[in-house]
Amino acid sequence: MKRAPAPRTTPAPLQEARATPLWKGDRLFRLVVGFCALLVLVSLGGLVLTMAFGGSKAFATFGPEFVVSNIWNPVTNQYGALAPVFGTLGSTLIAILIGVPLAFGAAFWLTNIAPPVIAGIVGTAVQLLAAVPSIIFGMWGFFIVVPFMAQHVQPFFRHHFGHVPVIRWLVHGAPFGYGLLTGGIVLAVMITPFVTAVMRDVFAVMPPMLKESAYGLGATRWEVMRRVIVPWSRAGMIGGVVLGMGRALGETMAVTFVIGNANTIGWSLFAPRNTVASLVALEFPESAAGSLKLSSLLALGFILMLLSFTTLAFARWLLREKKA
Amino acid sequence: MSEALHESPDQKADPESRDAALEVRDLDFYYGEKQALKSISMDFRKQSVTAMIGPSGCGKSTLLRIFNRMYDLYPGQKATGSVMFDGANILDPALDLNTLRSRIGMVFQKPTPFPMSIYDNIAFGVRLHEKLSRHEMDARVEDVLTRVALWKEVRDRLREPASGMSGGQQQRLCIARSIATRPEVLLLDEPTSALDPISTARIEELLDELKRDFTIAIVTHNMQQAARCADQVAFFYLGTLIEMDSADRMFTNPRQKQTQDYITGRFG
Repeated sequence: MKRAPAPRTTPAPLQEARATPLWKGDRLFRLVVGFCALLVLVSLGGLVLTMAFGGSKAFATFGPEFVVSNIWNPVTNQYGALAPVFGTLGSTLIAILIGVPLAFGAAFWLTNIAPPVIAGIVGTAVQLLAAVPSIIFGMWGFFIVVPFMAQHVQPFFRHHFGHVPVIRWLVHGAPFGYGLLTGGIVLAVMITPFVTAVMRDVFAVMPPMLKESAYGLGATRWEVMRRVIVPWSRAGMIGGVVLGMGRALGETMAVTFVIGNANTIGWSLFAPRNTVASLVALEFPESAAGSLKLSSLLALGFILMLLSFTTLAFARWLLREKKA
Repeated sequence: MSEALHESPDQKADPESRDAALEVRDLDFYYGEKQALKSISMDFRKQSVTAMIGPSGCGKSTLLRIFNRMYDLYPGQKATGSVMFDGANILDPALDLNTLRSRIGMVFQKPTPFPMSIYDNIAFGVRLHEKLSRHEMDARVEDVLTRVALWKEVRDRLREPASGMSGGQQQRLCIARSIATRPEVLLLDEPTSALDPISTARIEELLDELKRDFTIAIVTHNMQQAARCADQVAFFYLGTLIEMDSADRMFTNPRQKQTQDYITGRFG
């Protein structure tokens, strides 16, 4: 321990350092936090490089064909990314179409209509739902949603819309219960609590006075929601949707259980499909090191990352427009 | 207190009180269990400015929010007694709130422009209650913006977002928005508390103009503001109406000691 400096009788000269020895700790702290930040960059770069190098063999063999071919045939050693990419985008789109309106409704009800006590209980339930591991959703989907789709939903749609032009393409196929729609529904249930939580926070920080101003002009709940709350919360709501999309794009286990795992493309919502993440999860253990198949799977991983980055960039672009 | 009211001859016996836009009688208000207003009885005269003053938490803003039933948005808040407005009791649950609020407008402590253009901010309220042609709507927008002395400043940027205006302009826009639905009563809840002195002065000037057409009830923390703008002043303390009188009397010769202490700054 250093002896405490003698009390000064005159003001310290401005060029002189502070007498108490704290600056070394400060420098160390700067190094530590700088390292933490650097680690984020290194991890991100490492991931991108691993996928790109690992997949380079596949890209070199098939060229751009890899992205637009929907053949995935380990027997003939022919691989194309189109089918799983189609499945990933399709199931995510369905999940967003179902989940976002649900999440919006739940969040709006929780913040604007529900009595505080009930809002607290339901709000906690939403958080619990968000904490359920995805494998649980997979098993639930497998045992409950798949049979329900096979026995009720698809027969219903085939019966009523089986001969309607265009829609009949969406509903045709054998009633397995597996497929794009089932995957999308399970994903929707998974992302809804996340999107709800984000949207609830967005609505909660809205100034009450702004809402009261609209009510004060004689607007109904619907009009206040439509004309004031939604435009005001737009940026935050997009953030919530992007979070949900990111989760839906990359979700593996739950989807693998219910999508049917067939590398095909088609109109039918009820036919088995595949997603990038579930294809990789299923075939990775069976791929020999250095094989073209393994390289193709890594290339798929690279494409999945690009999809996620594109989503994020798109969201940023939407938000940037708002400020202007 | 009601005692104070009976003492004042120019309150109940005043023939002008028949010209009251709002007649408050025995009004109690509760936030859950907590009583925030106790047995309030007072009149708001037509075409005049009534200021409500008093320390924070005395219930003056609460009273204002009863007149357009804003408290209805929040479960657990309730009012008993009566507030007569155009032959109907505002507290009547059968009242149509949307119509009531189109006839009793409100402006808040801070400017609250909606996330839309200047034009649409004004058209928003009008469209809820009236079907106007484009031409009529344009005329209405120009009319109310002129009345709040904003037309010259914004005529060239009506289609731009209202968030780009200055704070003072935004608050005048909010007043314009409130009068655009042609209400009879205008409730102002500390409308200048977030504004600079120049913007405040402009709003105060505006009140003089507006009272020709509207009954104005204004809550203010600013005693000078009450003295400058109000015709009648009501002093509230701890949920009770202590005294109400003309502004001149209140500020020169109040009857109650509490009033005297408050306006001379002995507490607040």
